[in-house]
Amino acid sequence: MRCDHCAHDAPDGVFCTRCGAHQGTTDEFGDAKTREHRYAAHPDEHVAQPSMFTTLFPHLGHHKIHEFRWAFIVGLAGILLLYLAGLITAAILVAAFLVPVLYLVYLYEAQVYRDEPAIVLGFTIGGGIVAGIVLTVFERAVYNPFQYFPNPLSHASVSIGALLLAGLVFPIVEEALKPLPAIFFPKRTDFPETVDGLVFGVAAGLGFSLAQSLIGFSSVITSLPAHVAPGNWIYDLTTLAVFQPLLQGSATGVVVAAIWRYRRGSLGGREIGGVAMAVIAHVAFTLGTSLLREMSASPLLILFWQAVIVGALLIYIRYVLHYALLEEAAHMGYAETVCANCHMHIVASGFCPNCGMALTAAPNSIKRGRRPRIDATVSASRNR
Amino acid sequence: MAITCARCGAQNPDGNQFCQVCGTPLTAAAAGGAVAQPPPAAPPAAIPGPPPGFAPPGFASPPPTPPVYQSPYYSPAGAAAQGAVHRTPWVLIVSAVVVLVVVMAGCGTAVALFGRSNAQTGGTGIATGVSSPSPASSPSPIASPVTLSGPSATNDGETIPVPTGWVVDSKDNESITLSDPSGFGTITVGSGQSVPSQTAQQNKDSLDKFFLGKAPDTKSCPNSKTTNGNLNGAQGIFWTLCFTLVSGSQSAAVAAPLFAGANSNGSIFYAVLMLTPVDNLQKFINEAAPILAGIQWKLK
Repeated sequence: MRCDHCAHDAPDGVFCTRCGAHQGTTDEFGDAKTREHRYAAHPDEHVAQPSMFTTLFPHLGHHKIHEFRWAFIVGLAGILLLYLAGLITAAILVAAFLVPVLYLVYLYEAQVYRDEPAIVLGFTIGGGIVAGIVLTVFERAVYNPFQYFPNPLSHASVSIGALLLAGLVFPIVEEALKPLPAIFFPKRTDFPETVDGLVFGVAAGLGFSLAQSLIGFSSVITSLPAHVAPGNWIYDLTTLAVFQPLLQGSATGVVVAAIWRYRRGSLGGREIGGVAMAVIAHVAFTLGTSLLREMSASPLLILFWQAVIVGALLIYIRYVLHYALLEEAAHMGYAETVCANCHMHIVASGFCPNCGMALTAAPNSIKRGRRPRIDATVSASRNR
Repeated sequence: MAITCARCGAQNPDGNQFCQVCGTPLTAAAAGGAVAQPPPAAPPAAIPGPPPGFAPPGFASPPPTPPVYQSPYYSPAGAAAQGAVHRTPWVLIVSAVVVLVVVMAGCGTAVALFGRSNAQTGGTGIATGVSSPSPASSPSPIASPVTLSGPSATNDGETIPVPTGWVVDSKDNESITLSDPSGFGTITVGSGQSVPSQTAQQNKDSLDKFFLGKAPDTKSCPNSKTTNGNLNGAQGIFWTLCFTLVSGSQSAAVAAPLFAGANSNGSIFYAVLMLTPVDNLQKFINEAAPILAGIQWKLK
C-alpha cells in the first residue's frame, strides 16, 4: 500500500509502518498523522490518558501491563492490611519500596539495560539513591520542622518561611540535582532513544524518592510502637506509596528525556516545556501540600491535589514521549519481528502495521529478536 | 551485489531479508522473480480504505528515503533470529511484591520493637518538669514574682528565663517561643486576654483542636495522664499529646507536653506548649525545667 500521509510504499496495514500514520481515517478522531488518539507506546490509549504504567513503564506489552497493575494492586492491598493491623512502621517501609521495586522488575522484564545492568542500575536507581541521601540530609540540616511549627498562640496558622523553604526552594534544588546521575551515564550512545532517557530518569527519580522517604520517615520508623491505632495514617501512606514516587519519577523522567532529545539535536518547545512542567509540578505538589496542611485542610483534599498534579505531569510526559516515538521510530529499518502490544508477527519498520505501536518502545528482548536488515556498509565497518 | 526489489524497484544491499523501502521479502522476489506478496504472517488486511472523496497526496514518486537509523538494537550477527523472547512469568512479578510486603512487615516490626525499647513517653509532661520544689507553689500569679537572674525574655503577658544555649525563636505581645540548644525542641509560653472568656478546659479544647487540625493522628500519648494543677500561680490542666509531624520531606513522631490555664473569671489565658521528638521527651522536659520554673505571669 501507499501511505496516505508520507506516500511511501509500506506493507499493508492499518498504520503506516514507516511514519506511524493511521491509514484511512478521517479527522473524526483527530489528526491521523499525529494520531493522538493512538498513543505510540500503547495504541489502545489516547495520549491524554493519565495512566501510570503505560507512561512510566513504556516498554511493557499489553498483557505485561496488566500483570504489573495487578502486582501494584497486591502491594497496595498489603499496605492496607498492614495499616488495618496497626503495623504502621511496616506499612511505611512497604509504601516506600513498592514502586521502586516494581520498577526494578520492569527494568529486568524489558531488559532496558541490555548488556550493562550494573552501569545502568548504578547510574539511575543507585545514583538517585545517593542524590536522595545527600539532599535529604542537607534539607534536614537546613529545615527544622520544630522551628517552623506554627504557634497557635500567635493567631498565625501558616508559616511563610516553611512554605518558601520546603515548598519552593527544595523542589527546585531537587529537580536540578536529581537528573545528574542519569546525565553523567557513561554509555549513553548505546541508549540513544528518548524512551531510554525517560526510563533512566524515572529510575533515578524513584531511587531519590526511596531515599527521601526512608530518611524523611526515619524518626517515625524508629520511634513508633510496633502496633499503634491506625488513625489517619492511610493518607500519608497513600502519598508515600503512590503520589510521591510518581511525582519524583515523572519529573526526573521528563527532564532526562528532554536532555536525551537535546543530545539527538531534537530539542524543541515541547521538551523545554517538559522541564518547566517538571519544576512547576514539583513546586505545586510540595507547596500545595504544605499550604493545605498548614491550613488544616481535609486529608482527602490534599490527596486530590496531589493526584491532579501527578496526573497532569503524566499526561505531559505522554505527549513528549508520543511525538518523540513518532519521530524516532520513523528512522528504523525493516525487520521481521513480533509486536509487543498486539503480539502479531510482522514485517515492519518503525511501527506495527496492525496496532500502530512504535517498535522502539518494544522490550529489548523483542528488539534483539528482530531479523535484522544487513547493511553492507555497516557490516563492513563492524568487521573492521 | 545489490538486490532489486521486485515490488518497488529499490536497490537493497546484499543480504537484506526485506526491502528497506517497502518491506517486501527479498528472498521470495529473488527466488521466484515475481512480485512479492506481503508475508502470510503480516498483519491482517482488514484495512479501512480512504474515506470517500479522500485523495492521497499526489506525489509523482515517493519523497527521498530518509537516512536509515542505525539502531543499536540491530545485532551485528547475521540474519538469524536471536534468542527467544524474554518474558518474566506473572507469578514472579506478583511474588516480588508479596515478598516485599512480607520482608518489610518483618523488618518494620523488628525496627519498631527495637526502637521502642528505649523510648519513653507519658508521665504528666510539663507537670513532671515542675514537680520539684519551685515557685509553682506560689498561690497567685503575680503576688510573689520570682526574681530572675540571667538572661530573660519578656512581653506583655509573661517573663521567662532564657538559659544558656537556648534561643528566642519568636516573640509577640502574647507569646514567646524558645528553641533548645540541639534544635530538637521548642517551648512556647503565652498569656493574654480571652475574648470571650474561656475556662481552662475550653482553652485545652482549643489547643486539642489546633493540633488535630495539624496532624490527623493526634492523640494522648500512651501512659500519659491529664491532671489539674498549678503552674507558677496559674491554675490549669496538664496533658501530653502525641502525633506525627509531616513537614516538607520530613516527618517526626512528636510529643507535645501542654498546659492550658485560665484565671478565675476566664478573661485571661495561660498556655505552655512544648514540642519535641517522642524519644527525646524526658530529656527535653529536664532541659526545660528551669524555664518552666521561672515563668512569671504578668496578667491576673
